[in-house]
Amino acid sequence: MTTRRPEFTPEQLAEVRRWQGLYPDKRAALLPALHLAQDMFGYISEETEEYVAGLFELAPAHVHEVVTFYTMYFRKPKGRHVVSVCHNLSCHLAGAPDVLGHLRQRLGIEPGETTEDGRITLLAVECLCACEMAPMLQVDDRYEGHLTPERVDRLLAELR
Amino acid sequence: MARLTIDGRVLEVPAGTNLIEAARQIGIEIPHYCYHPALSIAGQCRLCMVDIEKVPRPQVACNTVVSEGMVVHTETERVLETRKSIMEFHLINHPLDCPVCDQAGECGLQIYYMQHGLYDPRMMDEKVHKPKAVPLGPHVMLDAERCILCSRCVRFCDEVTGTGELGIFNRGDRSEIGLFPGTELANNYSGNVVDICPVGALTDREFRFQVRVWYLDTQKSICPGCARGCNIEVHVSRRRPHHAQGRRVARLKPRFNEAVNKWWICDAGRYGSDFVDDDSRLQAPTRRDGEKTLEVAWTDMIPLAAGLLRRYRGDEIGVIASPKLSNEDLFLLKRLCDALGVRAVDYRVPPARPGDEDNLLVRADKNPNSRGAELIGLGLSDSREILAAARERRIKCLWVFSHDLLASAWPEGEVLDGLLGAETVIFQGTNANATSAYAHLVLPAAAYPEREGTWTNFEGRVQRFRQAFPPLGRALPDWEILGRLLQDAQGAPRPARAEDCFRDLAAAVPAFAGMSYRSIGDAGQPVRAARS
Amino acid sequence: MSAPAAAAEPILTRNFGRADSHTLEAYRETGGYAAWAKAREMEPAAITDAVKRSNLRGLGGAGFPTGTKWSFIPKGHAGPVYLVINADEGEPGTFKDRYLLERDPHALIEGMLIAARAIGSRLAFVYVRGEYVVPGRRFSAAVRDAYDAGYLGRGLDIVVHRGAGAYICGEETGLISSLEGKKGWPKLKPPFPAIKGAFGAPTIVNNVETICQVPHIINRGPEWFAALGTKTQGGTRLYSMSGRVRRPGVYEASVRVPLRQLVEHYAGGVTGNGRLKAVVPGGASAAILRADEVDVTMDVDGLKNAGTMAGSAGVIVMDETVSIPEALMVVARFYAHESCGQCTPCREATGWIYKMTERIVEGRGHKEDLDTILDVARRGAGTTICAFYDGAVGPYISYIEKFRPEFEALIPHG
Repeated sequence: MTTRRPEFTPEQLAEVRRWQGLYPDKRAALLPALHLAQDMFGYISEETEEYVAGLFELAPAHVHEVVTFYTMYFRKPKGRHVVSVCHNLSCHLAGAPDVLGHLRQRLGIEPGETTEDGRITLLAVECLCACEMAPMLQVDDRYEGHLTPERVDRLLAELR
Repeated sequence: MARLTIDGRVLEVPAGTNLIEAARQIGIEIPHYCYHPALSIAGQCRLCMVDIEKVPRPQVACNTVVSEGMVVHTETERVLETRKSIMEFHLINHPLDCPVCDQAGECGLQIYYMQHGLYDPRMMDEKVHKPKAVPLGPHVMLDAERCILCSRCVRFCDEVTGTGELGIFNRGDRSEIGLFPGTELANNYSGNVVDICPVGALTDREFRFQVRVWYLDTQKSICPGCARGCNIEVHVSRRRPHHAQGRRVARLKPRFNEAVNKWWICDAGRYGSDFVDDDSRLQAPTRRDGEKTLEVAWTDMIPLAAGLLRRYRGDEIGVIASPKLSNEDLFLLKRLCDALGVRAVDYRVPPARPGDEDNLLVRADKNPNSRGAELIGLGLSDSREILAAARERRIKCLWVFSHDLLASAWPEGEVLDGLLGAETVIFQGTNANATSAYAHLVLPAAAYPEREGTWTNFEGRVQRFRQAFPPLGRALPDWEILGRLLQDAQGAPRPARAEDCFRDLAAAVPAFAGMSYRSIGDAGQPVRAARS
Repeated sequence: MSAPAAAAEPILTRNFGRADSHTLEAYRETGGYAAWAKAREMEPAAITDAVKRSNLRGLGGAGFPTGTKWSFIPKGHAGPVYLVINADEGEPGTFKDRYLLERDPHALIEGMLIAARAIGSRLAFVYVRGEYVVPGRRFSAAVRDAYDAGYLGRGLDIVVHRGAGAYICGEETGLISSLEGKKGWPKLKPPFPAIKGAFGAPTIVNNVETICQVPHIINRGPEWFAALGTKTQGGTRLYSMSGRVRRPGVYEASVRVPLRQLVEHYAGGVTGNGRLKAVVPGGASAAILRADEVDVTMDVDGLKNAGTMAGSAGVIVMDETVSIPEALMVVARFYAHESCGQCTPCREATGWIYKMTERIVEGRGHKEDLDTILDVARRGAGTTICAFYDGAVGPYISYIEKFRPEFEALIPHG
């Protein structure tokens, strides 16, 4: 089965070229380019890695290294929303295991999985550096803290 | 230059030398995995730590360059304890595969563990599991669990072949060597990663489970695959004929030669020794009698062949020599031709497909001794004209060495006309082929691991190959066959050893003047014209 | 409770109360960019000298004297010199840089202008951790405003570079590798970044907060800054207070503020059962202090002499209801997840030690495990490419040594 090959639009490509020019070595623009690819295509497939590798004249294996090294690049399709619960020390002391347990029960999935309707991907992550609002999580771009079961439920209700 | 002290011994080395190389010069081998002189410094395995006076903590020797007055200790208690610790770290997730792993006996983990190890393992938890027995390409097998992530293979593909197939994915103890999904490790030098892998993570697919390395003997030789003449080691299974399906050549490994091939060999050369133990090997002298092929003893074949040759005038004999023959073989052949008055002699036959060439080791000329044949004077005529003369019956006796003329660039019909036109066809070579089927006399020659000799590479470097095991059946080295024929023809005493032939060659051919097996040694020696 | 010994005057936090604190207008209203106006007339060497005399030390974790670091740049270097700001805040318990990016981005920009002049840099990079989406946008907007106002683009360009999720990119050479478009693998030292850093050029990597201090040093003088602290470390710093405290948050105080005061006065005292059990004083990588060990001052030397470190000043407070073995398991899990995998001791041992702590917490520990963890930690320390493993060793050793009976109680006998 062939899927449409991922490709940036001319505007996006121009933006990538501009980023490449900001640095002394164009390879430095790889991480931003992969963020853009993920924003555009939803996740980073192997075809996307090959495509981006071509834009940087890098062996695809070296782009694959970068994608598998960093936690924020998704290699499989993710939910419309990503809920990342911090389970590091201060959040643990403030009850992160309970927050995770509540979410597992509400969503019916384990950390690392996506709900069947494609709505939410649940992750357990390391310190997001918002310990003053522990226990906390990141939903898409923003941080939500001082979590209680009620606050979590209200949050879930807002996510379509 | 810098003067420093290592383990109480003073030495002087060029500035910029790292401590591993410096220590090596006085015979001290600092244990290491990821360092390799051909590759960039990685500093990842952390095994090569040494104590340096005035430096509080042990330092890696690979990334430390010598400085004037430096005092290094490679065997203090602290260094030995550190090595123990590092060895333990390496073995935390390494699988207990020794009983089924080909690397056993030549494994970097085994070797250093035996020297430095903590013999009571305290790791009782489940090890991290990764893919095992993954073919990376036609020649290389990956076991990701055994990998110690030294990154030599990744750096090889980036820095030597420039092909970048391999990477280290993920992070932490989930780190894993691999290919970009859907690709394969198929560059022409893929086998070299098996050599540089210190452990059994990258192993050779042909060699897999064939024979334990402690049953292997090794002999120095030269690859016959092209005009580069990469230095090799032939690994022989002598004591285990039931292993490796009875093949005597278990595997080939490159031998370091700074001037020729450094540490490497191409895959075509590494995996090109099948012909040595193939069923098509010619093992006995034979003559055609009508429809039948009769085996003949050498004591009968030599006078038979010599007699046949004497029946013709010199200008009725055509010799298509081979650039696979050694310098010794070619020298005696030239003398025989001179003695018989044969001037229709050449060694050049164009291959059906022109050979490929690259900017690393591979040469388009797929013969090891074209230069030798040229220097010794076997290019008096033109092979194609010799064949034409045979077709026209001007040449009545055609003597072909090694070539399969029917697989050449010439039209098959033209070749056949030549072969059928000659009254007598003599074939001398290691393996039967379509051409040898037309021969009236077949003289079986020893293959290169079965004999001594030298070849001259494209740069004019004369290099020795040595005998690893006796010839198959009754095959003889070409120089010996030719020596016996010369003796029969001229009454000249025949040479006892290849070295004797070379001595005569050096005395007679100016390009080789002053050379001997001794001066050639293990690294080879350029002919006169090629010396600066 | 006794009054705080350090300066009551907020310096880094002076604008935090305003809702528009991040805007250029607000920044200029409170005297912003005046230091830059002054520094542009100074010789670069004089700027470095002032920072040296202020005794400012790195506030990201290592505590290295900032002026000294700047002076490592080779004099008269012909090619480019890069200033790189480490906004890859990731040390557990630390969140002060996030506050600075969100609430006072122009302080960082002004500090960067001055620092860049001191070291001769015309191109600077700000590496923001990938998860800091909102703070990153806030900062990028401030950069755009600074360009529009003519502060940037006339001798200094700033490129904001977004990370993608890896704690190790907070290590200065791991950050450089990531900036260069590779995995965040720290680099072998030597060469040191000031000699050969980003893209092969001399580079200074400084923490956000460290650079935010620089305008104040220029404005009010290095002696004033030095006097706020100790003989070896000047100024104030931001303390991230979290864990079992009444008022978690960011608090500014002198570098020599007593830890007990931070816990009881600034953060409002211990919650849980109200009785202090332990404090992690400098982010997860700092050795833990027992309740009877918290009468120390928070400066680099003060905490070093107490057998721990000031680190990133991330203070995590634990009351008596906290299980120390569980805390160690959580921290060990963090190090195993974040190990970059480049060198053998850290890669293999962090995973193994996490497995052992997990077993212990689940009641499946073996009696040799504690000594094995201690021994493996000690044997690996000092053998790795970077200090990540040494950071892991802090908790591995201190939690077990200082609370050993609590661990032993979980291990089945016989």
